[in-house]
Amino acid sequence: MENDLSSVVDSLPGLVWTAQPDGQVDFLNRHWSVYTGLSIDEALGSGWQLAIHPGDRPGLLERWRSMLAAGEAASMEARLRHLDGEYRWFQFRARPLAEASGHIVKWCGTGTDIDDLRRSAMGQPGGNDDHRSVADIIPAMIAFLTPAGEFENANRHVLEYLGATLEQLKGRRASDAIHPDDLPSVIAASERAVATGRSEPYDIDHRIRRADGVYRWFHGRVMPLMDLQGRVVRWYIVNIDIEDRKRAETLLAGEKQLLEMVARRQSMSEILKALCRLVENAVTDCYCSVVLVDPDYTHLEAGAAPSLPPGLTNPMIDRPVHVDTGPCAMAIFLNEQVIASDIALDTRWDAWRPMAMAHGVRACWATPIASATGPVLGAFAVYYGEPRTPTPQELGLIDQLTHIASIAISRAQGDDALRRSEARKAAILDAALDCIITIDHEGCVTEFNPAAERAFGYRRDDIVGKQLADTIIPPSLREKHRQGFARYLATGETKLIGRRVEMTAMHVEGSEFPVELAISRILLEGPPSFTCYLRNITERKQSEERLRRSEALLAEAQHLSSTGSFFCPRPGEFTWSTELYRIFEFEQQMPITFELIMSRYHREDIPLLNDVIDQVNRGVIDFDYEHRIVMPDQSVKYVRVVAHGNPSKDGHFEYVGAVQDVTERRRSEAALAKARSELAHVARTTSLGVLTAAIAHEVNQPLSGIITNASTCLRMLAAEPPNIDGARETARRTIRDGNRASDVIRRLHALFSKKDTAIGPLDLNSAAREVIALLMSDLQRSRVILRAELFTDLPLVVGDRVQIQQVILNLVRNASDAMSDVDDRPRQLSIKTERDEDDHVRLTVQDAGVGFSPQDADRLFDAFYTTKDSGMGIGLSVSRSIIERHQGRLWALPNDGPGATVSFSIPCRPTNMKGTPELGAMRIVSGEEKAMSNQ
Amino acid sequence: MIGRPLVSVVDDDESVRESLPDLLREFGFAVQAFSSAAEFLASDSIGQTKCLILDIAMPGMSGPDLQQELKLRGQAIPIVFITAHGDETVRPRVLAAGAVECLLKPFSDAALRKAIDDALQTDEGVGP
Repeated sequence: MENDLSSVVDSLPGLVWTAQPDGQVDFLNRHWSVYTGLSIDEALGSGWQLAIHPGDRPGLLERWRSMLAAGEAASMEARLRHLDGEYRWFQFRARPLAEASGHIVKWCGTGTDIDDLRRSAMGQPGGNDDHRSVADIIPAMIAFLTPAGEFENANRHVLEYLGATLEQLKGRRASDAIHPDDLPSVIAASERAVATGRSEPYDIDHRIRRADGVYRWFHGRVMPLMDLQGRVVRWYIVNIDIEDRKRAETLLAGEKQLLEMVARRQSMSEILKALCRLVENAVTDCYCSVVLVDPDYTHLEAGAAPSLPPGLTNPMIDRPVHVDTGPCAMAIFLNEQVIASDIALDTRWDAWRPMAMAHGVRACWATPIASATGPVLGAFAVYYGEPRTPTPQELGLIDQLTHIASIAISRAQGDDALRRSEARKAAILDAALDCIITIDHEGCVTEFNPAAERAFGYRRDDIVGKQLADTIIPPSLREKHRQGFARYLATGETKLIGRRVEMTAMHVEGSEFPVELAISRILLEGPPSFTCYLRNITERKQSEERLRRSEALLAEAQHLSSTGSFFCPRPGEFTWSTELYRIFEFEQQMPITFELIMSRYHREDIPLLNDVIDQVNRGVIDFDYEHRIVMPDQSVKYVRVVAHGNPSKDGHFEYVGAVQDVTERRRSEAALAKARSELAHVARTTSLGVLTAAIAHEVNQPLSGIITNASTCLRMLAAEPPNIDGARETARRTIRDGNRASDVIRRLHALFSKKDTAIGPLDLNSAAREVIALLMSDLQRSRVILRAELFTDLPLVVGDRVQIQQVILNLVRNASDAMSDVDDRPRQLSIKTERDEDDHVRLTVQDAGVGFSPQDADRLFDAFYTTKDSGMGIGLSVSRSIIERHQGRLWALPNDGPGATVSFSIPCRPTNMKGTPELGAMRIVSGEEKAMSNQ
Repeated sequence: MIGRPLVSVVDDDESVRESLPDLLREFGFAVQAFSSAAEFLASDSIGQTKCLILDIAMPGMSGPDLQQELKLRGQAIPIVFITAHGDETVRPRVLAAGAVECLLKPFSDAALRKAIDDALQTDEGVGP
């Protein structure tokens, strides 16, 4: 059966074949083999492809594969090689054989030689149906026009596009369907072609109206067929639909234009408007808008809507970003595309929907515009007056333009931010009190703010572009700067960046001044640049110096005066000065506590401290007390504390106080008291001869009174009648004078009881200074102005310090007393020491007092000559006797002006004398001993 | 009390000015006491004083100074010096200058009486 069928098939003149569902050929009839010259075995499977013209093979195979995939009958054309090597066009038709279930089990195909047919179809217009079917296969509108431009013949694509039958079309002018805007150029081109008189094709792009009225772009290839006389016999026209390409080109041009606007930094609203218009032009019957979102992503902001009524777009401004607000707000909120294909049927956006409907909107597609970094910037919306769902093409278009919108908005916002930041930076630079200077990686100044202009005297325009090292860096530092800069660039090592340092800078006029400097590297890509912050710290330096100096001065003053100070802001908290630490012999900076202070307090003075604390607690604010402190070596210091309290902000008292080490004063007071008593003692024991007279006088006075009174008493009692009252009175006086005499005796006894006095080397200056110190308060009380002129380098003398001091004391006292009644001139008193001739040293006391006459000069030294009545004083006579015992002399001279000058002169210590062993042994203890030592 | 001769006492020692006038009044003289030479010179008593009892060592003008002053003024008042200083050099000097007597303190009432009497004698002797 099968063999019978096979032989039948083999005997057919056409080519017959079958293939498996996967396309593998499993049968070819004999004719196929005879025609191609390939054996059946060679041709089975895929071998048959060898007979297909190489140029047609890829297209055929693709068509073959798509047919297999589609599972439907198809026909395809390709050239097949004859065994003699000639190719002829064949039409291959294939049809599936399927089971009842639809499952394809086999493909059956035929091959028909259409070469002759093809040739006649291409060469002969309006040919038979075969020709027509060929023309219909070509994916282009093919038409033949009469010389007058009327349709003569047209393929199926033309008829379908124009929506007419060939019969309806015949006689109609082809130009009627051409877009009016394109018609002039179409006519011009045809005229040019006719003018050439040759049958040559030309190209022209133009729009042709479709049956539904929509124009589409076509690329036309036109050829006028000319007769020998150059007249057009027929027009051949092939139009290829290029609408999609044109649209793509338009969009591309639009996008390019938009991107150029972005690049030119045109305003964002202009760019968005252009974007809307681009879409509106590219897509028929739509309107577009862009809304933006505020930086907080909470409210909508105006973007662009060049063709929409403001009544539709304005109410959306400032509305919240929320799904209920409208399609755009929803798209932004969800960051998803929102498609409302028919608003009339939608149930969302209760407020927005009626408004949109009122403006004739029936469809709205809103797409979020996202920035490259993520955040949603706004939404792009397309509106239609009719219900509509976007095609994939439209979605692609929207996607593309949304992307451009994102770029435009991001860029504009970036520019905005940059402008704001630039403005901010400029404002900061201008207003900064510090000098701000930026330099590039070559050390050139790139920015120089007004503060820097003021500080350095350069104008910004003059210094920008110059080397920092040639301008504000002083010459002495320039080399160092260059090296440091180069090292940083090479290695990244720096001692400056990120730190605050003090340096010297130079003014344009050459003066140098101290600056505080901080440098930071500007964090930008590319070569490094730097910002320098500088501040003129001349004044700060000066005030620091002043402060330092005054602190040093205070410390020095505190040290010199042994006075420390303290500050006590609240109980138990102390700040001590350096000197106070020194006085208390604590280590500097040791934290001061109450217990620490207590540890130094003299045990006996602790009650005093407790009393002070008690007073503080009672709100006493002024303190002035003295106490003792005990040092670690058990030595005792006397300190005087003066403090004053001021109310502090927190209701306490802040105490500020001074603590003075008065130990020395206490000691010298004690020493002075001792010296005074010694002087007094010596005064009474120096010269027995003079003293005897003094004693005689002192004793004789009361004795005289006693005797006189006793005599009187006796006489009164002896009178008739006896004067009892008078006698009693005189007796009483007798007793009194007796007591007085007794006192004198007792005093004399006391005077002689003290014995020690020593002789040694003596500095007259220091002796004089001590006397001055001793008498200073007396002199001040007497309003005496004392001037001491003590010769520096005065040689030492040998003597009894106390006795010599007694003499000086007497001379000064005499001088002071001589001026007690002087009121018409200054009570000037001078003490002078100097070298005298013959290796003597002289001390002179000069006053401006009552003075004396030259003839009295000698009498001054009489033992009883005195101008005053100060008890048992020893006068100049004693002084003279002391000086004479020191191998010196004492004399007095009246001044040229008022007052007198008394001087003494005593020999210097012999230079070969080592100490005073012999004299040191000489002790003036009493008149008798003195007499003995004199022998 | 016409006829009672005036004896003036000049001494800076208060106890002398207290005791001596009482004694002199017991002797029967009229007495004026002065604490300093200046006070005496300023008083009305110079002219009536028949005898001056004068201390030697006094602040300001001393006894010998007053003696000198009175001589210069032509007031030949007999002077009896008294002194507590037992200085032998003073006595000859004042006597040489014309003093009637120089008594060393303490002195007896008899010595004083004799000196005054001598002074009054002198006065009478030289007087008109």
